[in-house]
Amino acid sequence: MAMTTAVPPRRSVSATESVRARKIADAVATAVLWVMASSIVVMLAAFIIYMVYLGWHALSLSFIFGVPKETTAGGGIGPEIYNSFYILILTLLFTTPIAVAAGVFLQEYAKPGLFRNIVQFSAESLATVPSVVMGLFGLLVFVYTFHWGYTALGGALTLTVLNLPALLRVTQEALLSVPDSLREASMGLGGTKWQTITRVVLPSAIGRLTTGIVLIAGRIYGETAALIFTAGLSVTGNHPYDINPFHTAETLAVHLWYTHSESIVPDVDRIGNGSALVLLIMVLLFNVSARIVGRALTKHFTGRSS
Amino acid sequence: MIDASPTDTLAAAADKIVAKDMDVFYGSFQAIKHASLTMKAQHVTALIGPSGCGKSTFLRALNRMHDLTPGARVEGCVMLDDEDIYGPDADPVVIRHRIGMVFQRPNPFPKTIYENVVYGPRIHGEHSRSALDGIAEHALKQAALWDEVKDRMHRSALDLSGGQQQRLCIARAVALNPEVILMDEPASALDPIATSKIEDLIGQLTDAYTVVIVTHSMQQAARISDFTAFFHLGEIVEVGPTNQIFTHPKEKRTEDYITGRFG
Repeated sequence: MAMTTAVPPRRSVSATESVRARKIADAVATAVLWVMASSIVVMLAAFIIYMVYLGWHALSLSFIFGVPKETTAGGGIGPEIYNSFYILILTLLFTTPIAVAAGVFLQEYAKPGLFRNIVQFSAESLATVPSVVMGLFGLLVFVYTFHWGYTALGGALTLTVLNLPALLRVTQEALLSVPDSLREASMGLGGTKWQTITRVVLPSAIGRLTTGIVLIAGRIYGETAALIFTAGLSVTGNHPYDINPFHTAETLAVHLWYTHSESIVPDVDRIGNGSALVLLIMVLLFNVSARIVGRALTKHFTGRSS
Repeated sequence: MIDASPTDTLAAAADKIVAKDMDVFYGSFQAIKHASLTMKAQHVTALIGPSGCGKSTFLRALNRMHDLTPGARVEGCVMLDDEDIYGPDADPVVIRHRIGMVFQRPNPFPKTIYENVVYGPRIHGEHSRSALDGIAEHALKQAALWDEVKDRMHRSALDLSGGQQQRLCIARAVALNPEVILMDEPASALDPIATSKIEDLIGQLTDAYTVVIVTHSMQQAARISDFTAFFHLGEIVEVGPTNQIFTHPKEKRTEDYITGRFG
């Protein structure tokens, strides 16, 4: 049966009614999406501007380096900044080795199977625990059972449990981003698994890994709920910059909550707004340095800038 | 090369790798069935056949790369000189030191050019800087890459072109001074000029090495190989000197494939 094909009628190239309607829909969609995307920038900018406006008069050397006061005005936040860094470093010292080792095991060694599923499931379950519940756990274990009282170490250990799942995920994703062809190349040259991991896989993943660690550091720096119950709400009066991990260690984020909700000092607003601004600056610095450090390490290990 | 070596001298060359009755399974799927093939020392053996015929699977069995694939299993034996690489005492690390591999897509490490070339010697225990420098220069010269990279040895290998990256991967394999180099469609991701450079290079490598190359291009097999094995559906249908396979194939299926009737 022969197909008959009609010659198409002559048509114009100018827009028809239906084309015009579709073009309007396209323009509307583009505009809406642009506004949504821009709103993120606007929200961040408005937030930062407002925080700076509220907090900048509070910023002075005596505020940033001074010791807090219990009942009178003029207290500073020096020990709180110190404690924030102290707990942050302690937490990263505990979390990083565990998370990286577990991530390497799950991603590079473990065969699909029961044990891997159990570890993965445990990590995911741990990730859903609210930080305030983790704080109660820390209170029961470190403060009461171990009789440590409120300590920097107890706070750091609680934050370790809290942030382990996130850092494990960061590690796994960093390892996953390393193409299998590189592992094959190394094994094909007679490399052992361990040589392949230490000389090819981890150096290739180090940029992403570092970026992830620094972003989590920002979260640790801003954590409150888990620390209220474990590291305490005060700093030691006679030893505000104690290096003993068993010292009571109120962090900057906790201090912000405390001054606004519990404190009886007259200059609550000044201290609160100033603390908030310092906290914000610190966290923003973490985010910026995450990119810089990640890039530098990638360049160091791979000889390439991107 | 084909013209330079008559069939009788080809047959007289020593055996380097002999696969005997090899089966490869992926789970319950049998990808290679009873394959036997002799690869002659210092000659190029090409493995050809349509997609999915098992030629790459066969190649990867020759330096135990299937050990890395979960569910893959190799049966039969592969003799390297007089030893079975699947024997109880055979160690994959030693085997892969003696039998190097170049992959389909260039896969340089995200390191400098220098670090790529000396990677193999380093992991096998060579730490002397001057020895590594010498190895790097020699390997890059053998891979016909030295002149292009000698002034930027400490730049990233990822900044090289695809063809240069593949020659770097060949240099990386050569740096281990292997006896055999396996190549899995080494030019399939490259443009014609880079391909012809790789092909010239393969011709020179047989001065020192035994080369086994998988290729989907029959023209390439005809240009560069001394022996050709035709794979189809996991079996080796026919093997022989390349000029004979391409001019007087004995099997109907070989003839159909090389004349383009299927593939």
